[in-house]
Amino acid sequence: MTTPTDRSDAPRHEAPHASQDDPRVMLDRDLGVFEPVPPYPPRTEREAEFYTLRDGEMFINMGPQHPSTHGVLRVVLKLDGEKVVDLDPVLGYLHRGVEKLCENADYHHVISQVDPLEYVSSLFTEWAPVMAFEQLLDVQVPRRAEYIRVLSGELNRISSHALFLGWMALDLGGLTPILWSFIERDEIVEMLASLTGQRMLFNYFRIGGVNGDLNHDFMSRLGDWMSRATEQIDSGMGLLNENEIFVRRMRGLGTIDTKAALRMCFSGPNLRATGVPFDVRRAHPYSIYPELDFDIPTRTEGDCLARYLLRMDELKQSLRIIDQCLHQMPDGPIMAKMPRLLRPRPGRAYAAVEGPRGQYATYAMSDGTHQPFRMRIHDPSFVHLQAVGLMMPGHLIADTLAVMASLDPIMGGIDK
Amino acid sequence: MDRALKNRLEARFADRFSGPIRQRHDQTEMRIGAGDVTQVLTALHDEPEFRFEFLADLAGVDTGTVMQVVYHLWSDTTPDWLRLIADGLSRDDPRAPSATFLWKGAEWMEREAYDMFGIIFEGNRDLRRIYMPPDYTSFPLRKDFYLPDDAARSPGAGVRPMERTHEPRNAPAAATVRRSAV
Repeated sequence: MTTPTDRSDAPRHEAPHASQDDPRVMLDRDLGVFEPVPPYPPRTEREAEFYTLRDGEMFINMGPQHPSTHGVLRVVLKLDGEKVVDLDPVLGYLHRGVEKLCENADYHHVISQVDPLEYVSSLFTEWAPVMAFEQLLDVQVPRRAEYIRVLSGELNRISSHALFLGWMALDLGGLTPILWSFIERDEIVEMLASLTGQRMLFNYFRIGGVNGDLNHDFMSRLGDWMSRATEQIDSGMGLLNENEIFVRRMRGLGTIDTKAALRMCFSGPNLRATGVPFDVRRAHPYSIYPELDFDIPTRTEGDCLARYLLRMDELKQSLRIIDQCLHQMPDGPIMAKMPRLLRPRPGRAYAAVEGPRGQYATYAMSDGTHQPFRMRIHDPSFVHLQAVGLMMPGHLIADTLAVMASLDPIMGGIDK
Repeated sequence: MDRALKNRLEARFADRFSGPIRQRHDQTEMRIGAGDVTQVLTALHDEPEFRFEFLADLAGVDTGTVMQVVYHLWSDTTPDWLRLIADGLSRDDPRAPSATFLWKGAEWMEREAYDMFGIIFEGNRDLRRIYMPPDYTSFPLRKDFYLPDDAARSPGAGVRPMERTHEPRNAPAAATVRRSAV
């Protein structure tokens, strides 16, 4: 966290003049003060309001290079003592223009373009565009491919939630859980690597199916892991669930009620933690989810602890889904018959999947050429991050990290 | 495809349509003029026969001839996604009413649409750029904004500096702008 260095009472650093020419000595350089107030007149009502300080208030910059911003995010905090009055997240440090790149890419290339968006759950960022394109093309995906998609997707969800568990504890100052959750994550990531060929940016789903069939290495790793997964996850969760400091700190922190959550367009675990049983897998079923038996856990508190516990409940449901996929896996092809060059008829399509963070969606338009005419990517982290401004006022500055971590934003997806 | 939803929408909003209702796969598409957005969104959100309380997505679209704002809504009254298209925004001065009076979460999505397309959302109290730097002057997702390395599709002149492409004198001839009829 950068603090303003303009403290007139602090003794000024005085270096001997001899060192001025010495390139090895850099101590007498002026470090400069990073001014949070933008150097241009305010553009909107809200900006003018935010960047006007009342008596006793101060600005402080968190980020862009802060270890717990989950990417490159700058948050301008307006403080009154230790209390946060208001905050203004500044985005764009990771903006790559993926939507424009997709509009200038072949339909098949889009999959590799969207991969790095949410780099901890890449399969879901592939899934939504692939589903949208399949709708544009009226393709029927083979059942085995759907099962493989769900199987690998749920594995990815577990690895993402495992990372969330560790990150969240790390943001609160606990180092141990991330070491434990990385055991879990690493096993899954290696498993997916033997299936897809990549550890993180899988590039695995294809329009009309998936890239490779289940192989022996993957299946033996998965079977090995499944036999001890429940036990392993429980022991990782035990570190936090039974930790009094953690629980008392998270309870009642960053509370958001059902109405506000719907007004903020929340989705996924963050919405379910306020009591709304909205899960795209059930609310708007896709793939083979209607055939699978699993529950949608909800909680009503809407605070950080509820969001954390809800994700942990989801892990168990994901294990149930994986178990069913393994038992029901049909034989057959893994790819529909597709031409090399795709030219869908002009039309529009919208496809949403339930990712680990919420509704991950793609809105695609085709104009009959081999490139999408418009491809809109909807990322849940983007929506959730803007609610931090709603939840933070009145809390302590150190709790900003806890609240942000509990919403589980990924900056790669937010900045597109 | 939910035929019942189509009938309900036609019974309620027929006087506001600017195009026919289209249904394909699990989506129902409805087009209205930008002036009716506030009333139609309020009706869809509040009326018990619709209850579209979940704004799934808000996107700007440049079709090459007009701008559009596309809302995707979810309700427990229908198995379909409802796609509401606010159609016919002029490309020179695209303006649409803000949806922030119903969904505060639309604020950033509208900021993004402003940043990428220059669509002004009237009523959004924080409409500034969100991804691009504040002194940036172009709107990158507009169809007359070419990627600098996409020389093949640039109109004859080859590569042009990114920031200049939006200026009228540098703008490519109208016929070369990619257009969509859907």
